[in-house]
Amino acid sequence: MESLKYTEILQLNKELAKESYNTDFSAKILSNVTVNSFKEIIEYSLRLKKINPKIEIGNFDNIVQDSIISSDCNLVFVFYDILNIIDNVSGYFESLDENSILELAQKIKSEIDLILINLKATPTVIFNTFSAASIVSPFVNQTRLEQFVASLNDYLYGLTAKNLVLVNIDKIIFELGRAQVFDFRFYQSSKAPYTISFFKTYIRAIESTILKVTGKVKKAIIFDCDNTLWKGVVGEDGIENIQMSANTSFGKAFYDVQCIAKHLSKNGILVGLCSKNNLSDVEEVINKHKDMILSNEDIIIKRVNWNDKATNLQEIAAELNIGVDSILFVDDSDYEINLVKERFPDLKTFQVPKNSYLYKNGLLDFVYQNTSLVVSVEDLKKTEQYKEQFVREIAKNNFDSMDSYISSLKIKLDIHKNNQSQVPRVSQLTQKTNQFNLTTVRYTEIEIEEFINSNTKHVFTAAVSDKFGDSGLTVVCIVFIDKDGAIATIDSLLMSCRIIGRNIEFVFMDQVFQFLRSVGVKIIDSKFISTAKNNQVSDFYEKLGFSVIKKSDNHKEYSLDIHQYQNSTIEYIEINKNY
Amino acid sequence: MENQKLKILEVMSSVFEVELTSLNEESSIDNIENWDSLRHLNLILALEEEFNITIPDEEVGDLVNYKLINLIVNEQSK
Repeated sequence: MESLKYTEILQLNKELAKESYNTDFSAKILSNVTVNSFKEIIEYSLRLKKINPKIEIGNFDNIVQDSIISSDCNLVFVFYDILNIIDNVSGYFESLDENSILELAQKIKSEIDLILINLKATPTVIFNTFSAASIVSPFVNQTRLEQFVASLNDYLYGLTAKNLVLVNIDKIIFELGRAQVFDFRFYQSSKAPYTISFFKTYIRAIESTILKVTGKVKKAIIFDCDNTLWKGVVGEDGIENIQMSANTSFGKAFYDVQCIAKHLSKNGILVGLCSKNNLSDVEEVINKHKDMILSNEDIIIKRVNWNDKATNLQEIAAELNIGVDSILFVDDSDYEINLVKERFPDLKTFQVPKNSYLYKNGLLDFVYQNTSLVVSVEDLKKTEQYKEQFVREIAKNNFDSMDSYISSLKIKLDIHKNNQSQVPRVSQLTQKTNQFNLTTVRYTEIEIEEFINSNTKHVFTAAVSDKFGDSGLTVVCIVFIDKDGAIATIDSLLMSCRIIGRNIEFVFMDQVFQFLRSVGVKIIDSKFISTAKNNQVSDFYEKLGFSVIKKSDNHKEYSLDIHQYQNSTIEYIEINKNY
Repeated sequence: MENQKLKILEVMSSVFEVELTSLNEESSIDNIENWDSLRHLNLILALEEEFNITIPDEEVGDLVNYKLINLIVNEQSK
């Protein structure tokens, strides 16, 4: 993946999309930064594993709200990025006072809890750890931001949700370097901080998790012997001249590898041998060589003979009753590796590096990516668990439901009607809003101005703020009233996606209808026009109590007797009317 | 030169998910429906990787048709 260019990935992904495999897999990406280029990359990675991906990207910066509606996926990614979090509070984090930082940390921890509660039925949640690396910091000591990030990460590592997998973003940044990971050109305009290289390496970071959750994790690792488990060729050099001792410069790498292999066998991964040798020579090494770490107990199967290795591996798979593609194969020879690859393209191989000092880390990377050998998170957690439990209970008590969470935000709506100064913003919103937009009619500033100056057309807006910040003018409703003043038609209703999921729309419509009632309107007509992006509001008017009076494929018309309308019962949103 | 043209069109084809055969020197943001702001960002990244160039900040927003892309690729490849 990392050696491919982005265009190549797009092309290969498109090619593979024509195939249809037996396994379907759905994932949703929730994020507070733009990560759209990740979609095709993860799709391609899944298709390579013969899985049909269904990847959806959630609404921008709507992680908590979206987590409610995402629980039916196989997997949810959470990119809760520190960049956007701190941008919302200050241009320079170090200038914040301690109290605001504590309050912010508390808010984020509560949100993490809420997200995980909402996603508790989701089989797997991949949550990225927080990283301070996007902002330059001095080489000495710790900045407030680093401290803040460390406390959030401590919190994450203390969580006990069984479906949670934490991806350590800092490790990816170590590997690639800051300049390769972040590209701030598109951050101001599109909130997209990550490079394509970042996403490609990210795929490597989540490989073992993906294999696990798709049931494609490797179950066995089969080693060649000569120059793979020990240095030298036993049949030629003799048992006394091969090396695998921790105390010799040539043997050390092989000693390390044997320790790893032994650990694998002790942790549920089948370890076997496949070698072109005389069985008696290999047996003698295993039984008698003083530096041998692996013992017969660790080795579940041996194919030591002069047959070709592809056939041997096939037999090993049959005997172990696993697929050939569940096997990992380690060998030093180009010839054997290529032969096996050619016969079984899905069997993953690792070739022992020519420089033996690269062997240990290379093998570890291979093993970590392909097996479920991750230091048992459960074990690591247990000690920390009790300590953290206490803190978390407090946070959870704060918000045991979505409603109490929303009400804790102390949302305020500033509602305006026909406000001249808002013309540019209103027009811009009609141009830009796609998801929460009932009719998706685009208006120029001149048109909006005409509505505002007319007696029968009204432009309602709401500016939204909460205790953590100001989202600005983000809701628009345009209503036309007929000549007699009895029938009002909702021409447009739209809301920026940043504030979806907070029940703002219901409270806002209460106010619009209250006004219409006060000027003598009896009937309200409205319509929904379906587009590629506004499916989430397809039943919005039904929710408000409207009846459908006409319906076609992509179009619904509604009507409502205004006296039948029932106000929402929401009390936690404060209204400030400016008309 | 023809090679470069083909490469640019290939990048556009994969980023915007349109058939290569439907693209030509007249292709632009006005006649490619999928060309939205997010894909535009991917286009820039893909072009940079493909031609091993860096597209200057102030040019990013201007690359709205094949001819302008070709121009900037020529300029930056020097």
